Amino acid sequence: MSTTKAGTAAADSKSFDIVATYNELLRSDPDITMPIAAIEALVHVLTHCPSSTISETLDLLEKSTAHLKRSIPNPIGLSAGTDLFQRYLITTLQRPGQLGPAGDFKAIRTHLLSNGRLFIRRAKESRQKIAAFGRGFIRDGCTVLTNGGSRAVASLLQKAADEEGGPSAVRFRVIYVLSSMSKNIEEPSGEPEGMETVRALRAKGVPVATIPESAVAYALGKTDMIIVGAEGVVENGGIVSRMGTYQIGLLAKAIGKPFYVVAESHKFVRLFPLGQYDLPIEQHVVDFKSADDIAEEKKRKQQTFDVGNGDKPVELPLSDSVDFTPPHLISALITDSGVLTPSAVSEELIKIWF
Amino acid sequence: MADSSDMAQTNLPVTASTQSQTTATGDHPTSQVTQSLPIREAKSTKTPTSADNANAKKNVAPTPSTSTTDGSTVAGGEKPLTPAELKKKAKAEKAARRAKEKLAKEGGAGAAGSPASGAPQGRPPVTPKKDASGEVWPVKKEDKSVAVFGHLYGQPRRTTIAGAGKEVHPAVLALGLQLRDYVVCGSSARCVATLLAFKRVIESYTTPLGTSLSRHLTTHLSHQITYLSTCRPLSITQGNAIRALKLAISSIDPSTPELSAKATLCEFIDNFIREKITVADQVIAASAAQKVQDGDVIVTFAGSSIVKQTLLSAHKQEKRFRVSIIDSRPLFEGKNMARALANAGLDVEYSLVHGISHAIKDATKVFLGAHAMTSNGRLYSRVGTALVAMSAKERAGGVEVPVIVCCETVKFTDRVALDSIVVNEIADADELVSAQSAQQLTGVTDPVAPSKPDNKKGGKGASNAAKPATLASDLETSSSPLSNWKDNSNLQLLNIMYDVTPAEYVDMVVTEMGSLPPSAVPIVHRMTE
Repeated sequence: MSTTKAGTAAADSKSFDIVATYNELLRSDPDITMPIAAIEALVHVLTHCPSSTISETLDLLEKSTAHLKRSIPNPIGLSAGTDLFQRYLITTLQRPGQLGPAGDFKAIRTHLLSNGRLFIRRAKESRQKIAAFGRGFIRDGCTVLTNGGSRAVASLLQKAADEEGGPSAVRFRVIYVLSSMSKNIEEPSGEPEGMETVRALRAKGVPVATIPESAVAYALGKTDMIIVGAEGVVENGGIVSRMGTYQIGLLAKAIGKPFYVVAESHKFVRLFPLGQYDLPIEQHVVDFKSADDIAEEKKRKQQTFDVGNGDKPVELPLSDSVDFTPPHLISALITDSGVLTPSAVSEELIKIWF
Repeated sequence: MADSSDMAQTNLPVTASTQSQTTATGDHPTSQVTQSLPIREAKSTKTPTSADNANAKKNVAPTPSTSTTDGSTVAGGEKPLTPAELKKKAKAEKAARRAKEKLAKEGGAGAAGSPASGAPQGRPPVTPKKDASGEVWPVKKEDKSVAVFGHLYGQPRRTTIAGAGKEVHPAVLALGLQLRDYVVCGSSARCVATLLAFKRVIESYTTPLGTSLSRHLTTHLSHQITYLSTCRPLSITQGNAIRALKLAISSIDPSTPELSAKATLCEFIDNFIREKITVADQVIAASAAQKVQDGDVIVTFAGSSIVKQTLLSAHKQEKRFRVSIIDSRPLFEGKNMARALANAGLDVEYSLVHGISHAIKDATKVFLGAHAMTSNGRLYSRVGTALVAMSAKERAGGVEVPVIVCCETVKFTDRVALDSIVVNEIADADELVSAQSAQQLTGVTDPVAPSKPDNKKGGKGASNAAKPATLASDLETSSSPLSNWKDNSNLQLLNIMYDVTPAEYVDMVVTEMGSLPPSAVPIVHRMTE
């Protein structure tokens, strides 16, 4: 990843590149989510950089978080993790007793690090929990429409498919919306996101139909429910997720089909977008161009190619763009702390933060 | 003069019932009883006959009784009456006269409901005060309260400090009148002013012998509170602040020396104001200002200090946006805001609420202040707010127009509001009548200013002219066609203060604890309790 290397110099954490660690974590473990990778990266930072006081630790944490957020094109997901970790640190440090401000700092540090790891392990288990909660939603004979490459959705569907007592205890069908945009730009021939899940489900005997995004409205008539994943769950109970989810939500609402979101509770972000364009990221999805603009851009591209990749701001590739699905389109959120209505999300968030 | 006896009765229920409240609130310690003995007598003898009342009243509220016999002597006498009081007196006399005339005309007892007006269900059961006086004074006066809101009328706002208990601190006396006249207006301002007045009460308080501060001060404060609530019904913020203060008082160890206890309480009040209002406002303004973006057209309604602060701080961050202030009669609270924002260099458009569809057309965001947020996520705010929120949300493409409420958590209440009828506040309908000069734009902003000259004129008229009826017509015919609305039997005026905005029309509530959806109000309220 070329962009992250550029940021290395700015890293305050001596000789330790949190961004590289973060990306490495995401790449090495296909099961890891962005917030968890962020937390794990922060734990790594703390282990690598010996800090001796509380304020030093917090300062280090803040700096690395800011650096990480700056260097990643879409920091919404990971900011859930960093916020959570920071909050956890502060509450632990404020707690009276041995591990509080009065205690031995070394003890606090080791405690923090071990607990941070525990936290990561728990978060990985949460997907199983979600699957257990959500399994009841999928019943015999129903058809589920889903999209994107959410691992939480995949594990939920697979759990429903391999109920013990048969190859497929719940007989259901899946309509998988494959995004034309989510194809890897570097290798356009590559398969769209989600094909892996499709294959896995088919192997378990679940009939899967794959449709393009343009056929969603057409296919909704044959659908009983929609289940989607999310990159982040925001304070009002809406979700930030893969581009195209919003329109599925709108269509589901219009046609009156339930729209469920599957998300781990560590994806809850302290963020309150008021609409599609109020997200804290730069996206150039709607990009107006005339013929002149295109020509100019081509010229500029050539120039930058010659000069080399300068210090240009990180931009979200089109394939990774996200949209915001407002809470009134969502029937329920299936999380590891239970099945929540959108309005219960803020309650959960407030519980974490105060 | 035949009017005088009637007059005595019209005034009496007001004062007597005020006292009944005063005495009813506290379980009086002994010292209090001796102090307020005459009042209690007056209260106990209130009901039977008018003659008794007149006698009992003598030592309680001398002003009304003497003034009825001879208005001018009183005005020149030992206690100069406020213009507002004179006006009220004149009105009462007028009402009494009218009632007499009507009685003479119609005679019968059946006249109560049917013939008088086109608003048949308007009168009988809803106004307990008037009915109570009705037994001594035939129910001839037409009921001018609007039926649906009948339960809200209660007793009219206090117009004078006469009759206030002697326990009431001068600072509180003054504050009461300021609240009444909207000099102190807006729920945060009212809360702060009340707390500051109470701080002075506490500072000048000494615990009577034989009782402890933590027990007696609460009673002492409740006299002040009762007085304030007769001037204008208490706001939710005032209620919340008072509850917190009382809790702080009762949690004081009785063995604490009085001085240090008082110091603790004063500190508590200062902290409360700072944490819940001053700093909270700064936090809210900072976080709400982040939601303002370049090119926004921000619509706001009436004058909310916190919205003003938000817009000013957004302007300070050099964001380029336009503000459209929608205002309404009779308080014109938006004028202050328009002036302040325009002075700060913002682009301001000012219109009244009837121009709302025009003002809302190019809105991109709506910022609203709050009087209170109820536990079902609804916004209880100045009347007209719901209309603005709805206009924004229901217009074409309005789903994309976020409605943002800026509100301190001290305004949260555990009450639930389903409509704006059950809980509301009714102000004097005469506020709707007074005319505004046509050329005024953002100049003179004090909402009571225009009515003041009227009052003064009325006061003079009352003392000079013997006939109150002619006075009324003299006074106001030139200013407003509605000036004689009380004489018009088919006409009722409604001056309601608040309305309730459904939660669906509110996207976000910005509080000092963060931004919330309206559904999170009860959770936060539970936590801040």
